[in-house]
Amino acid sequence: MFRMLLWKEWRENLWKLWFCGAASVVFTVMLFRIRIVPDVSNCILISLIQMFVVPVVYALDIFSGEVSNRTIHLLFKIPVKRWMIFFSKYLVSALGMALIFAISAVLMELMAHGREARILFLLKTNLLCGTAGLFLFTWFCAFGCQSRSEAGSLVAMFGVFVGWGIAFFWATTCEVSWAVPFTPYSLAKLTQSSPVVAIILQSLISAAVLAIACRRYVGIRRYL
Amino acid sequence: MRTSAIIHQQICQLRWHLLACAGLIMVLPIEEAVVGLWEGDGFHSIRMVYAVITFSPLLAGLIACANVQGDLSEKRYIFWRSKPANVKKLMALKFFVGLTLSLTIVACPLVFALVSTALCGEDLGWQTFKHYVPVPIVVAMMTYSLCFGCNVLVRNTARSWLIGLFLAGFALVIPLMLPLGFKDVVTDIGFRAFGFYPATIFVTSVAAFVFALYAAQHDWHLKTNLRELLWVGTGLVFLLLILFSSQVANIRVLDEKEVDGSRWAQGTLDKVGDRLIFEGLNYVDVGKRDISLHEIVSNGASVVNPPLYGNTGMNSQGHQVIYGPRAKGYITTSYPRRLNALYMDTEDGTYHFGIIAYFRLEGEGSRKEKVHEKVYLRSYKLVGNSWRVVDELNISDFIGDRVNYLRMAMRLIDNTLVACVNQSYVVADVTDPGDLRLIDKRLDALKGNWSLRHMDLQSEFDIPIIPVEGISIEERIKLSIDLRYRFSYFRNDIYKSSMVDTHNGKIAFFSVSEQGVAWFDVIRWDQKTAYCKFTSVRPFTILEGMIWAASSLHDRTFVENGKLYLSRQNTLLVFDVRVSRGIRKLGHFVRMDWNIEDIAVLDDGNMLLSAQWLDYMGAGHFEVRKRYLCLLKNPK
Repeated sequence: MFRMLLWKEWRENLWKLWFCGAASVVFTVMLFRIRIVPDVSNCILISLIQMFVVPVVYALDIFSGEVSNRTIHLLFKIPVKRWMIFFSKYLVSALGMALIFAISAVLMELMAHGREARILFLLKTNLLCGTAGLFLFTWFCAFGCQSRSEAGSLVAMFGVFVGWGIAFFWATTCEVSWAVPFTPYSLAKLTQSSPVVAIILQSLISAAVLAIACRRYVGIRRYL
Repeated sequence: MRTSAIIHQQICQLRWHLLACAGLIMVLPIEEAVVGLWEGDGFHSIRMVYAVITFSPLLAGLIACANVQGDLSEKRYIFWRSKPANVKKLMALKFFVGLTLSLTIVACPLVFALVSTALCGEDLGWQTFKHYVPVPIVVAMMTYSLCFGCNVLVRNTARSWLIGLFLAGFALVIPLMLPLGFKDVVTDIGFRAFGFYPATIFVTSVAAFVFALYAAQHDWHLKTNLRELLWVGTGLVFLLLILFSSQVANIRVLDEKEVDGSRWAQGTLDKVGDRLIFEGLNYVDVGKRDISLHEIVSNGASVVNPPLYGNTGMNSQGHQVIYGPRAKGYITTSYPRRLNALYMDTEDGTYHFGIIAYFRLEGEGSRKEKVHEKVYLRSYKLVGNSWRVVDELNISDFIGDRVNYLRMAMRLIDNTLVACVNQSYVVADVTDPGDLRLIDKRLDALKGNWSLRHMDLQSEFDIPIIPVEGISIEERIKLSIDLRYRFSYFRNDIYKSSMVDTHNGKIAFFSVSEQGVAWFDVIRWDQKTAYCKFTSVRPFTILEGMIWAASSLHDRTFVENGKLYLSRQNTLLVFDVRVSRGIRKLGHFVRMDWNIEDIAVLDDGNMLLSAQWLDYMGAGHFEVRKRYLCLLKNPK
């Protein structure tokens, strides 16, 4: 049954993969061809935009879409655990986001082929931003899994972005170095050094956040 | 319905949004103030106030959507439409109440900055504050109007907010995108982009407001779908990028070759006959789409550059020799800067010409001055793998009173070499380049140089023509104009190019300033004077102006085959100057981190660029990362 749920989510969210993938490919090709700014700046620009936009596109209706379309009643009546429904949504979104970032990272590396930046630097930068985007999406799941409309989802996502932005700003301006790896944005800043510690730390935090999000989703009562 | 009742209802409806947005916009300034207090700088905020003010249009849009959405949901809409209310009056009141509240929210951090800095006795930076703050406020008002209008039509808070923001961004970007689909709308339809922003913001705001009133009156409702909206939005962004790249990146790069740093000194590209020479050491072979470098070889050995300091060289046996008696303690400067740049090929061999000046440094510490004592016009011949001095003319009497810096220029016209130092010039016959035969020599015959302020030049002005015998009047006029208006100490290319275009017996020249490119015509001339007048100006678009102003001032302007080439640091612009309607832009090339060193127009029309890729190291310092020769397609 879980496989069927995965298939359903994949089919429903395939357009997001097409949309984000096509936009990423087109803009990457365009910016790397006209080369008005250096390759590294292009890569950082594209990666940061992707880091914010791709999670928003996935988050907008991944949970709230079921409510606004009133399909959540049908979904919850399927003889399957709710955590499976939650994880099917999360996994498909995560896979889609990973594919989008992987495609654009490989494309950047192929187009730049070390002409300005070190080999694999662009790939690493883009993938780290993708990882940060995935962690942000995980945080969104905790706050937005009960939202009933796109507006609610958007506010939740906005709150996640701004909240972590404030934390990141505080940690960097006050030079609280131990706090920096706790923020997802730190990954986008760690391209020059080893991001392993930050990734491990973020993964552990995300696992906990995901558990909370799953619990909140399972506990939805009001729509039924 | 009473007006006061509507206003009261609106304020009540928006009170929580107001508090939430005010809280959101004040978080960062308060955080900055707290951090400042923690570090002992006092409880005040400036930097974060600018940051949050920049994002205030987002909140203004949110207030607009929250303001109107409540009354447009299906059931409430039917309810208030059943009331004896004037729809337009109701919507107008809602609009202005929401706008006032939005501005109140935007005012919070500003008041905080003013009060906190005043109390702490800190400098607010009033000039920056005064110039920056109105911009986001005006943009916030436009965003508010657009989001309001969108919500009336779309009736979905999130979507209308996103659409409103997107439209606001679009309206702000559009002036930068001009000239849209035209190659050069500035020339084609006489459009001027300056002053477009205030008009755009005002018209957009008013149009959105009026549209909202009509949409509410007639109950217009656009059903939207998230997927289609995203596709349309992305399509528009893509369209904008296409337009943007068509404006600033429409010159196609055919090939790019990285050049070893050891071969690079000044990146000069010079022509001898139909061959192109890079740095005086390498022939550049350019195919249709590729570049290759070959060392210039003479008698089986690679040519070396003549030494800049003194006229030493290598003889055919490979021994270093010193040509001519020269005293110790002198430093040499030359024109052209890369000495072997002005070539002449004869049956007897290859020659080049240069002006060599010798100077001493006098003074103490950092206040040293150059004292020039000797200046020579020399002819060098390629012998073996080195350049030897074969003849020279002593022109030391040209130095005059000007001792610190010398104005030097030179041009080879057929077999006549004209060399200028300060206000004097010498003309030599170089039919036999090994024997410089003096034709004419005049002291203080050139009267200074001027910069053209083309916006001020609405009347005729005249230029004294250099009285050189043996060259045509057109060439004399060209040289006179170049010497007068084109000279620069930093980058002086008079020896190989000109800002003057002669075509069908007409002579025109061009000058560039921060505002645009100006066209001057030489309307008539006699043997002593050329009479000129300002004809027209092709103003820069906002985007061109921004890029032009962002780079340093050392620009290169020259005309070749009816095209005007302008380059400045990281930008190259190509204009057609033989169209009847004025100057028409053909192409634009920009690489933000490049420094364009030299440009050569090839026989097939394509362009070769030598450029360095600079990396900003902070504090105004740049480091050269790579060096390139770049083959560009010349736009038509």
